[in-house]
Amino acid sequence: MLYDLNVPWTPSTPPADLLRTISFLTSLGYHTLALTHSLSATAIPAQISNPIPSTLSPLPANTTLLRRLTLTLSDPTQNHRLRPSRSLRYSSAAPYDRKGRFPFHWKPKPAMTAVARGVRFEICYAQATGAGMGQEQRRNFIGNVVGIVRATKGRGLLISSGGVAGDVLGVRGPADVLNLLGVWGLGRERGTEGMGCNPRGVVLNEGLKRRGFRGVVDVVEGGERAVVEQKNKGGAAVSGSGAQGAGKKEKGKGKRVAEQDGADGTPISKRQAKRLKLEALKAEKQSSQSQKEGGSLKDAMPLKEKSTLKESDTPSTTKEKANG
Amino acid sequence: MVRIKNRYLLVNILYPELEKGASNIEIPDVISFNQPTTNALNAPTLLRGIRAEVAELFGDYGSGAITSSLAIKYLSPATSTFILRVSRDHYRIAWAALSFMNSVPIKNGKNCVFRVVRVSGTIRKAEEEAIRRAKEIIVKARREAGEKGESTLDNIFGKTKDGPTESTKDVLMVDGSGSEEEYMSDSDG
Repeated sequence: MLYDLNVPWTPSTPPADLLRTISFLTSLGYHTLALTHSLSATAIPAQISNPIPSTLSPLPANTTLLRRLTLTLSDPTQNHRLRPSRSLRYSSAAPYDRKGRFPFHWKPKPAMTAVARGVRFEICYAQATGAGMGQEQRRNFIGNVVGIVRATKGRGLLISSGGVAGDVLGVRGPADVLNLLGVWGLGRERGTEGMGCNPRGVVLNEGLKRRGFRGVVDVVEGGERAVVEQKNKGGAAVSGSGAQGAGKKEKGKGKRVAEQDGADGTPISKRQAKRLKLEALKAEKQSSQSQKEGGSLKDAMPLKEKSTLKESDTPSTTKEKANG
Repeated sequence: MVRIKNRYLLVNILYPELEKGASNIEIPDVISFNQPTTNALNAPTLLRGIRAEVAELFGDYGSGAITSSLAIKYLSPATSTFILRVSRDHYRIAWAALSFMNSVPIKNGKNCVFRVVRVSGTIRKAEEEAIRRAKEIIVKARREAGEKGESTLDNIFGKTKDGPTESTKDVLMVDGSGSEEEYMSDSDG
């Protein structure tokens, strides 16, 4: 799964061009794309609304479209509404400078500290490969990339296209980009990370911050249905009490009906039922122990889970939810 | 005796840009990305273009490093595919030059993107990959065209307004697909 988190978008971009870009990126193998709207920090409107359309009509299959805002900020005092610590913490992707060379020398220590804190450096390669890019700009770009790669040792990079809105020509296939960066001194492993792992981390983290509970427990959409399903599954797993009781009730009806009585109609062998029963007993014992030890974990649980599931099940289920 | 080691790059020429005088017929994206290249592009011109780009990017060092080994082993304008041979030590130089090229290296060449699809040590594997890709593209195009209606492919191939040369090339492409199907059935049976 490859990410391209910088597909430039402006209000004046014709939708046909945009769709073409998206379709081309998809055919090259990038499946999660972020449409970028750029603002400069000096001219932020008072009321900020999201002008990027949330859906585009004939979107290629398997493509996820995200929306992103890029603020170009060269001095934290430019805008009093952005406090530097906060804005840095929340915008994980530090946008890469467009034209010109950086007027300073990239030092490894601050760069690595930033990467360790979760700031990411973005490399928009279309600023070098795009159609209308001059020689001077290309030179500066390569110099900047080499500087950043040297300072960060290739860690914490995001590699995305980005360039001019509506220009498809700057986009390259993932292998081509990796080769290009390899020529400039970025290792293959680090390059792959910059297209897969790192952008995925940014997307997931930001999503969790917005949707999740205290940034730890993610509430997945359609959670209610999932809870109901888990309830059924839990019933099957704890069949020592639930399913067997039902079996006892139906015993009068005959052997066949009792055999078919399982999680969802599938037959459960006697041996399996016995094993499940033993497991359930063991889990109950453990839960009674853990109840004494950890009360804090329970407090973080959403109410619904508490009510529907046994406490012994909750840690595992929350883990599942947080993972996906 | 140690043999000179080479790398064979299988390259696709893709045309991502929207056509200016777009016709009413909707062409599936797969087909328009992989449309045929003009016949004006032949092996020497392509080689010259690549050499010029290498010289621009890497100077005398780069062009000197690749000059003895660079050769075009196969060029098919109908499928916009070519196989490039470079020495193993310097294939990255030629590849980087390809990714910086933005148009077909002829006079008033169309804007395009060169995409290296496969790097292999023997030409055989590159050939196999080329055949596999061509088949895949045909299947994809059929599927996309099928979604839009039965007669779309006929529309595309029958009514293109780009002139006689283009349409003959399209016919060539259709023939190519047919022969490939035969090839497929042969290999199956």
